[in-house]
Amino acid sequence: MDMDFSPEDLAFQKEVRAFLDDKLIARLREGAASTPSVFTEPDITREWQAILAEKGWLATSWPVEDGGPGWTPTQKYIFEKECAIAGAPSLPILGLRLVGPVICHFGTPEQKARFLPRIISGEDYWCQGYSEPGAGSDLAAVKTRAERVGDKYVVNGSKIWTTHAHHANWIFALVRTDPTVQKQRGISFLLVPMEQPGVSVSPIITMANDHEVNATFFDNAETPADNLIGEEGQGWTIAKFLLENERGGSCAAPALLAKLDRIERWAREEASGTNGNMIHDPNISQRLARLRLEAQAFEVTELRILAELAKGRPAGPQTSLVKLTSSNLRQAIDELAVDLFGYEGLQLPVTRPLYGNEAPEFVGSRSAQLSMPAYLNGRAYTIFGGSDEVQKTIIAKQVLGL
Amino acid sequence: MNFDLDENQELFKAAVERFCQGQDVAARRAARAIPGGIDRARWKELAELGLIGLAAGEADGGMEGSHGDLAVVAQALGHAQAVEPWLECAFLPARLLAGSAHLEGVIAGETIAAFAFAEPGRRFVLEAQAVKVRGGKISGTKQFVLGGGAADIFVVSAEDDGKTGLYVVDAKAADVEVRPYPVADGGVAAIVTFHDAAVEGPLAADLGAVIDEARLMAAAEMTGIAQRLFADTLEYLKTREQFGQPLGRFQVLQHRMVDAYARVESVQSAILRALLQPAAPMAAIKAHVAENAIWVAHQAVQLHGGMGMSDELGVGHGLKRIVLLSKLFGDPASDILSYAQAA
Repeated sequence: MDMDFSPEDLAFQKEVRAFLDDKLIARLREGAASTPSVFTEPDITREWQAILAEKGWLATSWPVEDGGPGWTPTQKYIFEKECAIAGAPSLPILGLRLVGPVICHFGTPEQKARFLPRIISGEDYWCQGYSEPGAGSDLAAVKTRAERVGDKYVVNGSKIWTTHAHHANWIFALVRTDPTVQKQRGISFLLVPMEQPGVSVSPIITMANDHEVNATFFDNAETPADNLIGEEGQGWTIAKFLLENERGGSCAAPALLAKLDRIERWAREEASGTNGNMIHDPNISQRLARLRLEAQAFEVTELRILAELAKGRPAGPQTSLVKLTSSNLRQAIDELAVDLFGYEGLQLPVTRPLYGNEAPEFVGSRSAQLSMPAYLNGRAYTIFGGSDEVQKTIIAKQVLGL
Repeated sequence: MNFDLDENQELFKAAVERFCQGQDVAARRAARAIPGGIDRARWKELAELGLIGLAAGEADGGMEGSHGDLAVVAQALGHAQAVEPWLECAFLPARLLAGSAHLEGVIAGETIAAFAFAEPGRRFVLEAQAVKVRGGKISGTKQFVLGGGAADIFVVSAEDDGKTGLYVVDAKAADVEVRPYPVADGGVAAIVTFHDAAVEGPLAADLGAVIDEARLMAAAEMTGIAQRLFADTLEYLKTREQFGQPLGRFQVLQHRMVDAYARVESVQSAILRALLQPAAPMAAIKAHVAENAIWVAHQAVQLHGGMGMSDELGVGHGLKRIVLLSKLFGDPASDILSYAQAA
């Protein structure tokens, strides 16, 4: 038993580090570090995406024939870990990690040829149409209707929490094509162009003052029939593939540990008001220690999953815990950052972005200014992508057999 | 023994409810768009209802309400999710300015006063250090001056001869620099720098005693907000359907709501204890209320799902106001620690 990377993997790690040192310029790091919302904005991600695309390191979860780098699960993990430690921007994952792999797996050769290169080039920016006002945790209850009329689908209904729909030119949506059958079986997976009169997007501002999500409305929107992925009625299966693909391997712990390192640095600088720094405050230092122990253990959980995948075995039941654990850890870490900064942690900027020349003035430090919006936005981690309650029910049923 | 509100308290509560009627998310956004964050017409209305004067002594033209009366007002304002910073700009100035000629304008709602107590790098320490009074002039910088963007006068804690005193400074004076910035609850705070500005004072108020009273008011307001969020969430769980039934039918959510109910009852009892036992440790009671109110607010967001995250509902606003109040004059961790060490 050991926890070491092989010499080949260590050589790869060195290569990734050298690449990041060279290509991850300060402006991109600043943009990533100064984003309090879940996703980084396109002005930052597009540039980073182009750098990775040029290197061939962008579509890491795609097969080689579709443009993936052909990495092992361990190489993928190392790449993500190094990116997290270096503070790289997040990528537009809705295209690269969600709809991309779906098209690779279920798409026709024509669909692959048409959509995949434009995801890599950044020409297409994707958003996801899953939740609806009446279908949140209960995703199978989607009502948005797509009717086949000749060689196209006509779409009516509304989607909610559509992340970056205001930037996107395509949406992949779960739509109801057959209202007469059992609810999971009447759902299809459809690609719809956003730039048409039948699609409208209305912003939903979060309590943190961020504009990240939207409501998206379809009013006789049209899409060619060959934008259906798989077959009619296969949507639920594809949605499950997408979720499981997401849960395959994960690399959340390194980013959490990196954030804890940053909080520790801030705590060394933050005055306690009584002759010292906050690192000596028993509440802050003990919470920091507990969270670090939890994140370090979580890192090993992720490595245990990785070890299984690297041997070509299916990942064990630990995968189900990953989302639950990382969401709750992240929230606790964000709370700690707010508490560290005292009154300065209570500022909540109204305008965005918080980087570049447009950024509003901060009180104390940029880190202090970011703490409150990050904490508030972070409350969504236990809600989106299947709430904690839904995750626990799945684990109770599927893992524990209850 | 009797824990019922008396007749006057029922009237104060009703006055707050009337004042806040129709103050929804749109009203909150409109208030946020006003430079300084306070709608002066509404503030005048608050004064006319007697809700500022209630906190001032009779000798100063106030109504000299009891702690119980004032806590009822704070709690009702919390429950109604009031936009107006009553605690910051009505209660605190009314206490701090006791005996001052400025109080008349404050009680009338004509003068808006803000309390400048926090200094950069000093966290929750109340003794002034960087802001000093020398020869009748004040210098130095305060931050987190709540209501500071709208203020006509500042009540400032400042060091003079090694002691912390309270002084009044004209907010519009040329040698007073005010930089407003937005804070978590949608309100406006300010960084205020005094460049040898003229002061009046020191004032007669006992700073420590006023801070303890303010902690009680903050706890009462948090209690009102937690009760409101609890009620709104309960209603939501009874009406929102997923998986073919109301969310409230799911046992895990039923148990969660029972936990929330227990916490809401606990904070109400803690407030009553603080009111009825004058020697009760205010900072520690505020910490107890804050920790439980934050838990309830987190659950309110979680159980409202995505909607709980949006600025469209009062849920997020409630969480943000609770978080802000939880740190006013000390956060739960520092207050619990002091209490443990004092015991």
